[in-house]
Amino acid sequence: MINELKQKLLANFNDVQVNIPEDNRMTVNTKKESLLSLVSYLKNMGYNHFAMLSCVDWIDDKEFELIYIISAYPQDDEHYQDKEKKNILLKTRISRVKAKFITIISIFENAEPYEREIHEMFGIHFEGHPRLTPLMLERDYKIPPFRKDFDTNKYVENTFGKVPSIKERKEGKK
Amino acid sequence: MDRNQIGKWLKNPGKMANKYSFHVVYFCTGCGIIEVPPSITTRWDAERFGIIPVATPRQANLFLITGYVSTKTLAAIIRTYEQMPEPKYTVAFGSCPINGGMYYDSYNTITSLDKYIPVDGYIAGCMPRPEAIFIGVTHLWKLIDMDKADGYKRYREDYVHYRANQEQILGELDWPPLFSKENL
Amino acid sequence: MRELKLYFGPQHLGMVGNFSITLQVEGDRIIKAESNPGYLHRGFEKLMEQRTWIQNFPLVCRINVVEPDHMELIYSMGVEKLAGIEVPERGKYIRSIFCEMARVASHLFGAWAYANMLGFDTVANWAMYHRDLLLDMFEELTGARVYHIYLRPGGVRRDFPDGFTDRLVKTLHKIGGKVPDYNATFFENRLFQKRAEGIGIVTRKEAMRMGAVGHTLKATGLKYDIRKIEPYAAYDHVDFNIPTRTGGDAYSRLLTIRDDMIESVHMIFKLIDKMPKTGEVYTKTPNPFKWKIPAGEAYVRCESARGELGLYMVSNGGTNPYRVHFNTPSFNNGLTVLEKALEGESISDVGNIMISLYVVAPEIDR
Repeated sequence: MINELKQKLLANFNDVQVNIPEDNRMTVNTKKESLLSLVSYLKNMGYNHFAMLSCVDWIDDKEFELIYIISAYPQDDEHYQDKEKKNILLKTRISRVKAKFITIISIFENAEPYEREIHEMFGIHFEGHPRLTPLMLERDYKIPPFRKDFDTNKYVENTFGKVPSIKERKEGKK
Repeated sequence: MDRNQIGKWLKNPGKMANKYSFHVVYFCTGCGIIEVPPSITTRWDAERFGIIPVATPRQANLFLITGYVSTKTLAAIIRTYEQMPEPKYTVAFGSCPINGGMYYDSYNTITSLDKYIPVDGYIAGCMPRPEAIFIGVTHLWKLIDMDKADGYKRYREDYVHYRANQEQILGELDWPPLFSKENL
Repeated sequence: MRELKLYFGPQHLGMVGNFSITLQVEGDRIIKAESNPGYLHRGFEKLMEQRTWIQNFPLVCRINVVEPDHMELIYSMGVEKLAGIEVPERGKYIRSIFCEMARVASHLFGAWAYANMLGFDTVANWAMYHRDLLLDMFEELTGARVYHIYLRPGGVRRDFPDGFTDRLVKTLHKIGGKVPDYNATFFENRLFQKRAEGIGIVTRKEAMRMGAVGHTLKATGLKYDIRKIEPYAAYDHVDFNIPTRTGGDAYSRLLTIRDDMIESVHMIFKLIDKMPKTGEVYTKTPNPFKWKIPAGEAYVRCESARGELGLYMVSNGGTNPYRVHFNTPSFNNGLTVLEKALEGESISDVGNIMISLYVVAPEIDR
């Protein structure tokens, strides 16, 4: 079953590499141009549950890797099929400098908060996203905090560590 | 009522009443809130210590800060604290408000709470058990008896410094100062 | 009528957890709702990159306060998959029993929150008391009431003490004996029924479109449960049902939660019966200070009390994880489904709908 899907993907898309590392998991590496059509192709195949969108900062390669994890809802109320067991990991890499990508909200509605989070934590701009406003953070971080070059210890030292206690304030320390 | 305390009640009824009727702000600031429901329900029954949660900070006199404080929550905490009528007491619950706890290197949680609002007592632990809450409260009684739970007085006195610290972390605050020069 | 912007939370009696919703209201009717999370954001996924594989255990359980155990489970499963560790048979059973206990405790907490918010104080007190009885069992087993840190890669920390299962069965019978009273005063009470029926309706089509998981989906009749679909631990050795309803409203969701709780209790009995009486409970792992896990990636998922919980983990062959990303059920339910479910409802039902969707704020913020 999973091999069938592999064959279909390889037949329909010419720039994908499909791996099956274990049962029920499939990773598809693709170029960023064809990701959108791949996602909608899989949705039409019945993989209608968008589980999550994740991002990995490969700082040595100067690239971000976006991972779209897609699985399927059961179609039948009583019986399970093989389809639901599968998780498909779609991966694509984008440049770390001026990182931007296209939103998939038109295909999967619930990608919205995930893209918002990735935008906030990694600084990747998703074109076509209706509200890329801050989701969780209120402070301004010069480097988005989940990037590998963001040093939390240094940041804590420079912000929270620099706040004097009230006693020190009284003595005139700024 | 304890007979020995009749003298105290006659001498300073306001303080005694205040002490034995802690109205806690219903504000879940962190994960420590998970131990508050058990302690206010039948098993541990905080009401025998006079503790009862209330809906609004304007009716409350005890602020339990339950756990780590992220910068976004800090603004809410300050606003809530400033709305409470005096005399008011703050008890920080858990290890995180003391020195950051296990989130010492988190970019979004403050490390020590008493730089931003005055804290009258700490209950250490992660999580402190319901018994620890009660021990903390009985210690707070002693502090009130000795007039040492003076956080709200310190806040009034050093308001300028507290405000400066708050602004250092939160930037320009979008609410007016609680105390201006005239009403200090 | 004039439109108003109303800030609901974080300091609000109808709000469970540190979470806030910005409501656009016209009179009493909500036109638009916007979730505003982030009050509990600690940046776990960043912090975990700076700690070793084992040091992360105290962190992961703090992601969800109400049921820390599934967080430990999913992280252990991820590490096991990356490092290629097998769990011994008895360890698997203990894991399943432990997680079902956590599920029951979590559902009791949910019942407390729901009853307390609607003013059914008697039921709230019962639920909290019964949860406390279960916490006592956790305390006996692990030494802590709330954060247990009991699961570990390769199994569980230690075996059940002597007679633990008997005491657990006794406790569960005690809680189960109260179910008729719960039904009479709360679940099947006309007052409650009137309050919860027909509000916050999420149809199956909408739920699937918005990627809902857990009880939101089960209340529309779809049996989406990872324990059945992709069995982990010892769930493939026992026979159990997945309770569903068809209404899709807050009332159906709560009844699904109740039925799930009862089913979990029965499952614990079955697991105890089937469990191997002796055997190892964990596989030995290398020295935690020098433990390097081969490079690779893993996506694992399990069914927490709130729905599908996923973890995507990447290792680059070092002593720390390279990237950890939790896909928590509340993230989806609280940010996408909640916003849609609140539209057109009245302000007084906000807390009602939010608790019925089973949203836990720290899980969203992480």
